[in-house]
Amino acid sequence: MPASPADSSTSEQPVLEVRNLVTTFDTDAGRLTAVDGVSFQVRRGRTLGIVGESGCGKSVTAFSIMRLLPQPMGKIAGGQVLFDGIDLVTAPPEEMLKIRGGRIGMIFQEPMTALNPVHTIGRQLSEVFLLHRTQDKREALALSIEILGKVGIPSPEVRVGEYPHQLSGGMRQRVVIAMALACKPSVVIADEPTTALDVTIQAQILELMQELQHEMGMAIVLITHDLGVIAEMCDDVVVMYAGQVAEAGPVERIFAAPSHPYTRGLLESIPRLATPRKTRLKTIEGMVPSLADMPVGCRYQNRCPYRAEICAQPPPQEWVDDNHRVACHRWRELPSFQA
Amino acid sequence: MSAATSPLLTVKDLHMHFPVREGILLRASKSCRAVDGVNLTIAPGETVGLVGESGCGKSTLGKCIVRLHQPTSGSIIFQGNDLAHEKGAALKAHRRELQMIFQDPVESLNSRHTVGDIIAEPFVIHKIGDDAWRRQRVRELLAKVGLPANAAERFPFEFSGGQRQRIGIARAIALEPKLIVCDEPVSALDVSIQSQVLNLLLDLQREMKLSYLFIAHNLAVVKHVSDRIAIMYLGRIVEMADADTIYRAPRHPYTRALISAIPEPDPTRNKQRIVLQGDVPSPINPPSGCPFHPRCPHATDRCKVEVPALRTTGEPGQQVSCHYDL
Repeated sequence: MPASPADSSTSEQPVLEVRNLVTTFDTDAGRLTAVDGVSFQVRRGRTLGIVGESGCGKSVTAFSIMRLLPQPMGKIAGGQVLFDGIDLVTAPPEEMLKIRGGRIGMIFQEPMTALNPVHTIGRQLSEVFLLHRTQDKREALALSIEILGKVGIPSPEVRVGEYPHQLSGGMRQRVVIAMALACKPSVVIADEPTTALDVTIQAQILELMQELQHEMGMAIVLITHDLGVIAEMCDDVVVMYAGQVAEAGPVERIFAAPSHPYTRGLLESIPRLATPRKTRLKTIEGMVPSLADMPVGCRYQNRCPYRAEICAQPPPQEWVDDNHRVACHRWRELPSFQA
Repeated sequence: MSAATSPLLTVKDLHMHFPVREGILLRASKSCRAVDGVNLTIAPGETVGLVGESGCGKSTLGKCIVRLHQPTSGSIIFQGNDLAHEKGAALKAHRRELQMIFQDPVESLNSRHTVGDIIAEPFVIHKIGDDAWRRQRVRELLAKVGLPANAAERFPFEFSGGQRQRIGIARAIALEPKLIVCDEPVSALDVSIQSQVLNLLLDLQREMKLSYLFIAHNLAVVKHVSDRIAIMYLGRIVEMADADTIYRAPRHPYTRALISAIPEPDPTRNKQRIVLQGDVPSPINPPSGCPFHPRCPHATDRCKVEVPALRTTGEPGQQVSCHYDL
């Protein structure tokens, strides 16, 4: 990817930077490339959204950053993940143990599977503190109670003694957030943190994340398929399609003037409150090609209304402006966008 | 809905209580009031959206209407007959006109049957047509839902989520029903596929004059497909109105919170989110008085003791169950 025109100027150092990440999986169908040359920067204290449909590689990107790919099938085949001056791709396992749950926290989609059903909340939270902050079990428990209170769990001194099944879905996700934030990380990676929750509970969790970010100043990498959540939560957004970055930039720019036909298709196909009722929605025809059967050149070409001959060549990554980049041959020729 | 058309479906004071078995003897000591006195009508060709959070009883209500559950009490009047306690041949005959589409197209399709067999199954059950006629119908139905004719010989696992939902839709329309209960039909689908399936449902409705009960938690989706919307909370309908009215002038504090909680894909909109405190209470131990009072920002002492009745408001067709005009 060419350097951003903004790179040379005064822009601050990113807290996390992914450069040309390539992740492969060995399957019965051969080696598949799930993430193919993904690059982005996470700004300190800001929220970066990664949006895309199932199978686009957004979760694999997160698991690659944390080096939590399923073994032995998953492998980082190239690229760098720069965090605090070290490359997480080549960092030794002991180093990763310290970083995971320490300086980088994680929140997963399904809080029930992220928590161990046979251990109490207190024991699981204490584990994080014992691993990263203290040797004293009693102190670890006190810290656990403190952080549970902070994520809005009522009577935390009672809740530490309870098991995950005794909590509601929203409360469980608060516990997972407490675990992720236990060691005051500088980055939190949240993979679909509210997808399994109801709308009113989602609103609680999103608000909690915003409050805690304001207070603790961590950067958030928010992975979701929900463009509404992206719009409400993020400063920057990376739109992924079939393992590659289709478009990336500040969230207002991407929603107001999307330059990639896929981003446009996504934004046009969601029903909004203002859309006239019972009218046909715009659609993206067809479906995502399988990883084993990717078209040569632009991966979106078989669904793209603007497809031309040149799309059989791999699209260049071009800068629309200082912070906004797009991978499309024809982005300059697209008609102006109306949501 | 105009007063001239008589409703296709009228649900009156419907209750569905499940026994909760506890203790060593598994005595049914309590009951879970999943549906707790629901009244609802659906006109021919109309879509009624049913919105609520998990556990509010929306799916149970849908299953009662197609009689996958036998309701505890109340009536389900469909084309002049009360289905609520019907059995045997009479129920089977009415079921032809009432179909259901499920959220998870994978689990709702038998993985050992070909797609052709799955779609033809309603004909087999109702002894309609011979083999040749059924094969022909299956081809027509596949074309109608936008699947290739050779899909009939293939198995469900060979299809993507959106295509599987099309198979479920083909089966649901096979007997040319009057009403289809759609239970979260697009919730499991990706955005780009979701709009394809919604368009298909809208096209089929126009073509076949179908009525839908559209159950979902995504309000933007529900608003797009519905003529009227019912908001359900803890087994009861707390507000009902035209789809546009409910967004323009929601009256129930729960409806307002729900609408404000939808994340809208517009980063420039500076929206005031109403964040409700707490979780949805359990329908096994519902709160006294208004079921919403423990989470309601406007609750008073009256709300703790007195159950509000569903009453009309100034807006046409709007009903709300709240003591106050907020």
